[in-house]
Amino acid sequence: MVQKKERVIHSRVGPLHVEQDRLILFPKGLVGFEAQRDFALVRLREDSAFFLLQSCTDPQLGLMVADPYVYVPDYRIKISTVEQELLRLRNIREAVVLVTVTIPPGKPEDAILNLVGPLVINIRLRRGMQVPQNQLRHPPRLHLAGGGQTGEGPPCEPS
Amino acid sequence: MLILTRKAGESLYLGDDIKVTVLRVQGNQVKLGFDIPRDLTVHREEVYLRIKEENLMAARATEQDFFMATELWSRKKKE
Repeated sequence: MVQKKERVIHSRVGPLHVEQDRLILFPKGLVGFEAQRDFALVRLREDSAFFLLQSCTDPQLGLMVADPYVYVPDYRIKISTVEQELLRLRNIREAVVLVTVTIPPGKPEDAILNLVGPLVINIRLRRGMQVPQNQLRHPPRLHLAGGGQTGEGPPCEPS
Repeated sequence: MLILTRKAGESLYLGDDIKVTVLRVQGNQVKLGFDIPRDLTVHREEVYLRIKEENLMAARATEQDFFMATELWSRKKKE
């Protein structure tokens, strides 16, 4: 039996046992958090599209992120050659894309996906980067409860 | 802040390896060209500031809202 190596991360939601293969290096940090390099991507519920991107060194710093493709199946982003090199991407199948989530205080049903600053992760090397989109062909934000991006896209009504 | 005046077609260097050229001035718009090292990324300030604010917001959600949203939207996957 091969036991997966685990590491205990002190997160904003308490201590978490994180498998080594969920640890991600962001060599340039995140926008506004440039000094933070080591993060863990934690799934708090098996069937959820939402994750916690938790700093391994600052327990207070945990960002809510989500898989955008559950809600925006045609989400397309541009990754420049320089960014692909920094991520050491060999092909696009190695890339996992996440977006940050904004929750208005006390209104989790009004969660918003932010589509301008996607996080791209090379899943083979567990190396990540935030890749600002200067020219986005989607509306910049998706209100999950609002039935999609300014009337487009599939409705996502709470059931 | 350092302030310099340049005409269209003129350039300036930031250090040794960053060259900024004023390509065209039209009305209130300036078109700039950048010769920069390959590993340098350039972003529009408003995009950068927007993402910074969004990152802060994503980190600011309360624990309760966080878990609620995870619960709520776990059932939202495509049917």
